[in-house]
Amino acid sequence: MNHAITLHEITKSYDGFTAVDAFSLEVERGTVFGLLGPNGAGKTTLIKILTTLMRPTLGDAFVEGHSVLTAGKEVRRLIGVVPQENNLDRYLTARENLVLHARLHGMRPAAYNPRIDQLLEMTGLAARQHDFPDTYSGGMQRRLVVARALVHEPRVLFLDEPTTGLDPQSRRSLWDHIRGLRRSMTVFLTTHYMDEADALCDRIMIMDHGTCLADGTAAQLKDAFSRAHTYQVEFRRDADRYQGVLAGLSFVKGVEREGSLFQITLADEESIKPLMDHLCGSDIRRICLKEPSLEDVFISLTGEKVRE
Amino acid sequence: MFKGAFSIWGRDMLVLKRSIISELVSVVAYPLTLYLAFGFGLKGYITDVNGVPYPLFIAPGLISMTAVNAAFDESSWSMWFHRKVQRTIEEYRVTPVTVYDIVIGKIFSGFSQGAVKGTVVFLVILFLTPFRIDYANLPMYLLCIALSSMTFSCLGTICGTVIDKPENIGRVQSVIIVPLIFMAGIFFPLSSYPASILPLIQLLPTTAVFEGARDALLTGTIPTHYLVNLVLSAAFCFAVAVYTFNRKMAE
Ligand SMILES: Nc1ncnc2c1ncn2[C@@H]1O[C@H](COP(=O)(O)OP(=O)(O)OP(=O)(O)O)[C@@H](O)[C@H]1O
Ligand SMILES: [Mg+2]
Repeated sequence: MNHAITLHEITKSYDGFTAVDAFSLEVERGTVFGLLGPNGAGKTTLIKILTTLMRPTLGDAFVEGHSVLTAGKEVRRLIGVVPQENNLDRYLTARENLVLHARLHGMRPAAYNPRIDQLLEMTGLAARQHDFPDTYSGGMQRRLVVARALVHEPRVLFLDEPTTGLDPQSRRSLWDHIRGLRRSMTVFLTTHYMDEADALCDRIMIMDHGTCLADGTAAQLKDAFSRAHTYQVEFRRDADRYQGVLAGLSFVKGVEREGSLFQITLADEESIKPLMDHLCGSDIRRICLKEPSLEDVFISLTGEKVRE
Repeated sequence: MFKGAFSIWGRDMLVLKRSIISELVSVVAYPLTLYLAFGFGLKGYITDVNGVPYPLFIAPGLISMTAVNAAFDESSWSMWFHRKVQRTIEEYRVTPVTVYDIVIGKIFSGFSQGAVKGTVVFLVILFLTPFRIDYANLPMYLLCIALSSMTFSCLGTICGTVIDKPENIGRVQSVIIVPLIFMAGIFFPLSSYPASILPLIQLLPTTAVFEGARDALLTGTIPTHYLVNLVLSAAFCFAVAVYTFNRKMAE
């Protein structure tokens, strides 16, 4: 049994509306798994089902082999959760928030106090541990929620948009924490930031309307969606003439022009040779292959329209 | 077993301890005002009720009222706040504690608030006024208060669990809780009711609370039907509160 998380045909409907549709997935132990998708794709719903906050309408899911339907308590013993919205107790100090969490996990003071000291140190909150979360900046609150999720040393960590609202420094320091956790635990995160998924995740899944659209490493996804080969060509002279030439070539699938800079999409990899035959080398200032970004992959899969 | 409930209750008591002074000032002010206004203001007009001096007649009810009000207040608002505003219930629910731990912890927090506040009002009335009791009657009275605080804490928990809009909790308080309390004869003897509706009034759980508490404090005994009513109400409300919370969380 090498899977930390297994989803088996999970469906969740909210009176008639299907938020997650027969979703199946297996996440290997010790990896960082990233779930991407536009607003309303069903990411939070999946995390709520996996963390036993919500029951699926159909199907079952397993965390470290325990069913979320029949062994919720065992599941909860093994997981740490950072929800999309901070749910700190504003009437307790930062440290008391962590202590209560430890006690709810049945830990004893001798076990939780050193662990909490260590986590406060790691998240840079040690100096402010006796202050109330209300007096923290958004980034500090977020780090406190992450620290809380780690108090009991979970085997599987769920992070729902962990870095939303953080400045670049805090984001990077949180990434470093998450990278440090890889191998010792399985991390399941959702994010809207492609660079984050690119930098952190061993495996990425893009979902929309409750179903999976693509799945693989960042490199695999980019590769699979770079079938449309796009080159950037900048001309020294005769840009207008070349526009006419390009329009007449059958293997050129698309041309976008900005002054003397052209984005040329070719039908396939082999078309670069005939293209070069039609262009005069001395007229070209610069030519380069445009690497697709994860964001291009995401947009091409999920469309450009904003979700309501 | 129920270690989680104990931790959640501990959290609520820690928070109560931090603000205890301001809490107590506000909680004592209301019954004390009523006591002075009715007990002393009306003393010249109402000498005694069924042989009991009027200030002595209303004092046990005011203490019980403080306790049950505090229990209802704490349970309903706290449950609503932790569920809808802070969403800390969600944080509790991703730890190994069960929903039973959570709801029982919360019910006992409401109960404890009622007990603490009722005791303080009792002491204040004792210090500031010539109100005196026979201390041998105290255990019976405390039992009565404990049972009724339990009932109201469970009622509050139910409201805090099923009601999403805060203004509706306020409405339940003013349309159901306050009339129930005032109709139950804190300020007047039940014999003032027409004989036709008296049996109905006597069935109200609040009647058992206030009449029972007064009898307990002044005579040391509770009429059996009131005691049975108190025990059954507490047990019934407890079961409904736990069931309701469980159902809500499974949505
Ligand atoms: N309690 C609910 N009742 C009805 N519909 C809901 C409820 N919760 C979520 N939904 C719907 O389910 C769908 C998926 O929501 P979900 O919160 O899982 O999206 P998400 O991928 O986390 O989005 P975001 O990126 O905005 O956080 C949405 O269309 C949402 O409107
Ligand atoms: Mg979400």
